[in-house]
This record gives sequence, C-alpha cells and structure tokens, in this order.
Amino acid sequence: MITRPLSLVAVVGLVLALAAPARAAQAYTPISGSGSTWSSNALDQWKTNVAQYGMRISFSGTGSSDGRNQFKAGQVDFAVSEIPYGLTDGGVRDVPPKEGTYAYMPIVAGGTSLMYNLKIGGKRVTNLRLSGEVVTKIFTGVITSWADPAIARDNPGLKLPDRKVTPVVRADGSGTTAQFTSWMASQHPGLWDDFCRRAKRATPCGFTSNYPTIPPVVGQHYSTGVANYVRQEGTEGSITYVEYSYARAAQFPVAKLLNAKGYYVEPKASAVAVALLAAKVNPDLTQDLSQVYGNQDARSYPMSSYSYMILPTVTTGKFTEDKGRTLSDFAYYFLCEGQKQADLLGYSPLPINLVRAGMDQVAKIPGTTKQSKDLGKCNNPTFSADGTNTLAVTAEQPKDCDKQGPVQCEDATGGAKEPTKTTTGGGDAPVAEEEAAVVEEQAPGEEAAAEDAAADESSSGVARRAREEAYATPVSVDLRDDNTALLVAVAAVLIAALVVGPPLVARRLRRREGDR
Amino acid sequence: MTATLSAPPAERADGPRRRVGPPGGIDRLFRLVLRFAGLAVLVVMATVGLFLATRGAAAISEAGLDFFTTQTWEPDSLDFGIAAVLVGTVLIASVALVIAFPLALGVALYISEYAPPRLRRALTSMVDLMAAVPSVVYGLFGSTFLQWQGVDVPRWLSIQFGWIPFLDVEGADPDNPLSTDAAYVTSTFWAGLVVGFMVMPFICSVMRESFTQAPQGEREGAHALGATKWGVIRSVVLPFGRSGMIGGTMLGLGRALGETIAVAMIIAPVFAIHTQILGSGGNSVSALIAQRWGAASPFGLSALMAAGLALFVLTLLVNFAASAVIARSRSGQGSD
Repeated sequence: MITRPLSLVAVVGLVLALAAPARAAQAYTPISGSGSTWSSNALDQWKTNVAQYGMRISFSGTGSSDGRNQFKAGQVDFAVSEIPYGLTDGGVRDVPPKEGTYAYMPIVAGGTSLMYNLKIGGKRVTNLRLSGEVVTKIFTGVITSWADPAIARDNPGLKLPDRKVTPVVRADGSGTTAQFTSWMASQHPGLWDDFCRRAKRATPCGFTSNYPTIPPVVGQHYSTGVANYVRQEGTEGSITYVEYSYARAAQFPVAKLLNAKGYYVEPKASAVAVALLAAKVNPDLTQDLSQVYGNQDARSYPMSSYSYMILPTVTTGKFTEDKGRTLSDFAYYFLCEGQKQADLLGYSPLPINLVRAGMDQVAKIPGTTKQSKDLGKCNNPTFSADGTNTLAVTAEQPKDCDKQGPVQCEDATGGAKEPTKTTTGGGDAPVAEEEAAVVEEQAPGEEAAAEDAAADESSSGVARRAREEAYATPVSVDLRDDNTALLVAVAAVLIAALVVGPPLVARRLRRREGDR
Repeated sequence: MTATLSAPPAERADGPRRRVGPPGGIDRLFRLVLRFAGLAVLVVMATVGLFLATRGAAAISEAGLDFFTTQTWEPDSLDFGIAAVLVGTVLIASVALVIAFPLALGVALYISEYAPPRLRRALTSMVDLMAAVPSVVYGLFGSTFLQWQGVDVPRWLSIQFGWIPFLDVEGADPDNPLSTDAAYVTSTFWAGLVVGFMVMPFICSVMRESFTQAPQGEREGAHALGATKWGVIRSVVLPFGRSGMIGGTMLGLGRALGETIAVAMIIAPVFAIHTQILGSGGNSVSALIAQRWGAASPFGLSALMAAGLALFVLTLLVNFAASAVIARSRSGQGSD
C-alpha cells in the first residue's frame, strides 16, 4: 500500500504516461452501488470513463427501491434513487437509515418520457403528442384504442389506426414508476384513484414504486425490460414510461407531452432544464416537483426530475475512508466533467447551484479528497458567469406547430430519425416531387421552418392532402393467408399416423414373420 | 496392516460374518464426517423452513386462511394471498415438464442406446453445457428473442385448439388485422417453455445414467430372444430406468417450481388466476419474490416469506411423493 500523496502522484504520472494502468488501479479501493435504472445509463458511462483513472466502480441498476433498501442494510457503498427515504408508499413509510449517516446528492436531471411503438400504413409514427389526461387514461386502462377521439384531439395531423393500446409498466419496485405515479397522483388524482380501487389498493393512492399490474397493463422487469418490450416488431400499439435515454438508445420516438402553457414538448435536455427551474430544492437537497408539473414556461417538459445518489457520511465496518476517497473522486468527476455528457446520453445537466451543493455533500464523505474544482473548467452547458442556467435561458421557444391546435409538427422525437407526414397543417407542402426531395434533404430544423412557410399556401396544401390520403388511411395489415385449415388437416393426419402407424407396421411385420 | 489383523473374530459359527478388524481411527473419522454431511442437509432444510416460517408468521397470522384463497397481492393494503401465484407456479412447472420430459427422454435414449460412441461423448457434454448456462441467459433468450420469433406457435395453437379452455386466449382477436402479438407473449407458455429448456439437461442426465445401468445380461438375453433394438429398450432399458426417470423428472420439477429470474424476465405479472397459458400474463412465487422484495415494506417482506414458505412446502410434498413412488417401484420390476 502506498501512501496517499504518493499514490496521487502515481495516478497523475500514469495517466500522462499511459503506462501500467494496473498499478494505478491499486491506488483506489473498489466501491459498489446499486439502485435506479432511470439514471443507470449515465452512471454506466461515467464509471467506464473513470476506469482510466483506476477507479473501479461497480453499479447494478436493480431499481431505486432495491438500491435504498440495500444501502439501508449496508450492503452497498452508495445507492442511486429517484425518491428519498421517508416517503409513504401504499400506507407504509420507507423508514430512513439513522439520521446523520447519509446525505443526498443530485447527480443528473432528466425527463421521464413516454416511449411508444406505433405505425400508420407501415410507417413509424414519430411525432405523437399527448396531453397529461390522455396519458393518465392510457395508463389506467380508460383509453384502450389508438383511434380514441381524445388521442385524435391531441394529434390532428395523424389518423391513428384502431389498434389496441398496450400500456407497459415496470413490474419491479422502481423510481421511474414513483416519478410517473406521483405526477399522475398530483395532476389527475381522480383517474388514478379509480385505477387503484380497481387494483384493490387503498385510496387515495398517492405515488407508488410498484405499479398495480391489472389488465390491460403489462408489467416488465427493469427499464431495459419495458424498453425491449415496446421496441419489438410485434408490439405495435404499446407505450411505456422510461427515461429519455432508453428511447434514444432504442432509436424509438417519445411522445410530446402537453405542458401548462399549451405546448407539446419533448423531454430534451433544455426542456428539462427549463422545467426544473421551478423545482423547489429542500435543505437536504431533495426535490419538490409540485411546481414543475404546472410550470408556466412554454418550453418546459412537465415530467422532469432529478436523480439522487445517497452517500454515506460516516464510516462503518464496510465503508472505510479508502472507499470514501474513491467515492468522492468519482463524485467530483461526474459533478463536473461528467455533466458535459448528460445531454448526449439523454439526460439534462445539473445547474450550477446543485453542482455547488452536491460538492458540499461530497465533502461530508469520510475520507473525501476535498477537491476545490474550478467550476468554469467543467464545460457544463448550464453554467454562466451570472449564475443563471444557460441551458434554460438559451432554450428555444417551442415551434408554433407544437402549440395545442389544428397544426402538428412533423419532425421526429427521441431516438427516431424519420419525420412523420401529417394530414393537416404544419406539414411540408411540396407541389412537385422535386420539391419534396429538396425538403427531405434539409436538416430537421430547417425543414420545419420550410414547412411552416409552406403551410400558408393553401392551394398547395390541398394538393398535398390529396396525395397524402394514400399514406394515412390504410393501416398496416398483415393478413395471414387462409390455408390454416389445410395445415390442420395435415397435422391431424400426421398425428394420427404417428399414433396408429407404428403398432400397425409392427403387427404387420410380426405377422409376416409368423407366416414365414 | 498387522494391527487390523491382531484381534481374531470372537464367533464365526452361524449368523452373519463379523468384520475382521475393529473400526480404526480413520474409519471412525470418516463415518463421523459422513454422518455430519448427512445431518447438515437436514439442518439446512430445517433452518430454511424455520426461517421462512418465523419471518412469514406475521403475514400468515394477519391474513389467516384468506392467504390461500386471495388472488391479489397488496400486502400494504392487507389484501394479499397466494392463490394466483401458486397456481401460476404450478402451471409454469407443468408446461416446463410437458416440454422437458419427452425431450429429455428422447435425448437420453438416443445418447445411451443409439448414438455412436464419438457422438455420444459430444452430446453428453453438450447436454451438460446446457445445464451450465446461467438462467439469466435463458431469460434473455426467451424474453428478447424466442417469444417474439416464435409467436406463431401460440397463435396457431389458440386459433385451432381454442375450444380447449386453457388454450384459449381471451382478448386476442385473430380476425382483426390490427391485433398484435402482444396477446401471445409474456405468457405462462413462454416462461414454461424456457424453464423446460433449463430443466431438460438435469432430467436428461439422470435418465441417461439410469439407462446405461440396465444390466448387460438382460439386454443380451432380450437380443437373443429376437428382440429388436426398440424391443430391448421397451422390455429392458425403460423398466430398469423407471426409478431414474421418475427421480430425474422430480428433480426437474423441483427446479421448475423454483426457477426465478428467467420467469421474472419473461412473464407479465398479473395477480389473478390465469389458466389460459397461451395468453399474456401469469406469475410464479419465485418471480414474485424476485420482483417485489427489493421494494417491499417489512410487512410486505413477511408476506413474501410466507409465499416462499408455501412454495417450500409444495416442493417438499412433491419430492416426498416422488420418493414414495420410487420406493414402490423397484428398478427392473417390469422386466421379469
């Protein structure tokens, strides 16, 4: 074991020399954590990034609830959770660990997004818009068909097929579920409580980490499980709630959610940053999102939230100062440099006040390295000289076609690339095929601008509508050919032959041998 | 060596012959170790049972007999029972055995009777390899590949044989071109199928072992009497292997009842008795525990332990029944 200053020198030297990384690895004691699948895509990236400094962090995304319980039981060195301890879920309070032994630290922000699988005429829909009430009705089994008039009201430009809606939820205890249900419980308590009653839960239901899985709700294991279910070819009509990054990774679209100002907004990093300006941060750094849901900024995404790391602030038999050193260096890394990647990964970077507060929390870890980082060098896109959130200040105003009304934007959301043609305004209005080709070659942003300009030309709009009727009306039909009866007959004969055949043949052979 | 011979036998007239030497130190030690190992099994089993019973006592006393008849699982609303999950467990295990038994029997017979020696070695190690694949891999295989690619199988079964109640799929609408595969996946059938693949190698190994032990003399006798290969298998190999077949199947059943993560990854949990095995939805006790214990309240944990206890007792009963069956059927009984 080398002493600390020596090892620091060794780390720096080795990083520069890129030689013998194995020896650098010895300098850090490995640590382990578990919890949120919501933010696990970010943590997985960060832990891979710090591996070059010799930090070995193991993190298993087993759900926020599991992370909190494991941390409380002392089985892991840190936990990641969307919700803090001490909340009451289904009438049972989640008892926190001993006061003063732990602290919360925000690690990243993001939007709980609605990833869906929907096609019109064999072409994937990528510009779906939903109001909060429709979302709640979908996830409480009230709306069962995509052709429902309520969905059509949100999507004037889409003629959705009469396909069954399959709401997919998390089957395990999950912080994503907790975020989603606390949004429903706060915004649409009537619908949510009705659903809880049907699931035989005590009402008022409030938020829960365990979504009641009564039909038509389909439960799946972990965020990867729900995302995997929705992305299948065979599950058209399914929709799930999952962190934005999962939809991006699956290259699937997410629904634009209606905010208080009447705009449908996608959970991009800037929309989340704007929404969270309204989040009240408690003294222990936990979040109060009640103002976020109704944020009056037209650019905000209502289901935005922070994810938290739960840190130990005292040493225990298992958590030593050596581990604290690894944990604090890891935390300093992702609070500063790591935030730069948040947007790329499908999250939203923390604003400067929370980064500062987070660094204060890191200083409480036993064995902390107490770095005083120059925040200006973090390259965090939210930082500005005057302390405001640059990302939120510079966030673009939503386009007019995203406003509630008869016009609908065509550009793709989430991880999807292909824009969706709409039957009404907001659309491009190519009169000739050459023009259409030109429009398609443009970048999405420019295209939308071109669309807006073109939408005013009513004459070309008529031409387009006539042409697009062919896109919108047919539904994806995969009729099976009708020779199943033949198949049944063949199968029946085969089974009969299998059952009756061998004894018959055997008897015949025996008789022949007997004759001989 | 001379030491063991030093003490002459006291009596050697009638009756069973006595051992020449008295048990030496090493013998005693060995016997002690064996006895300890034997006892350890009992101790471990008793401890597990006791642990489950004490931890589950709170839930069972709260729910009373309703614990066995209630289908919902809302322990925090004091409305919970194992009716649905226990039935689901048995259904999944049944599907698994229906798949695994014929497959294992066929593979075991082929390996022990038909396969040329070189192929036999390769096949044996392949089957052993199948047993070594971790269950999470089977779960991934089932949940992301198999159930989506093979969705035509349950669809076909339910359309053609939907008149059999448990093969019907409620909510599926095959005549509607807009209906999706969602009704036929995440079902008891797929969970059972994958569990069947997982338990097949265990059943197969036990069967193969017992088939190879069919006495050579009787085989040759059967051949000498003009039996065909199939005749030998039917009159010698299968009767001699009967206890092995039953034992292996019961071993497989025990594993199928307790299989956790593969089931949890495939099934869409519902808390209602769902006997339509081809339709989406189902559950098992172990999958329930795996999905809920992380987020369970202390009382919810107690309820999960009680569910675990029920599964434990069920598995014990199955195994006792199996050993009773084996004890009654002497190997080779039918070959006389």
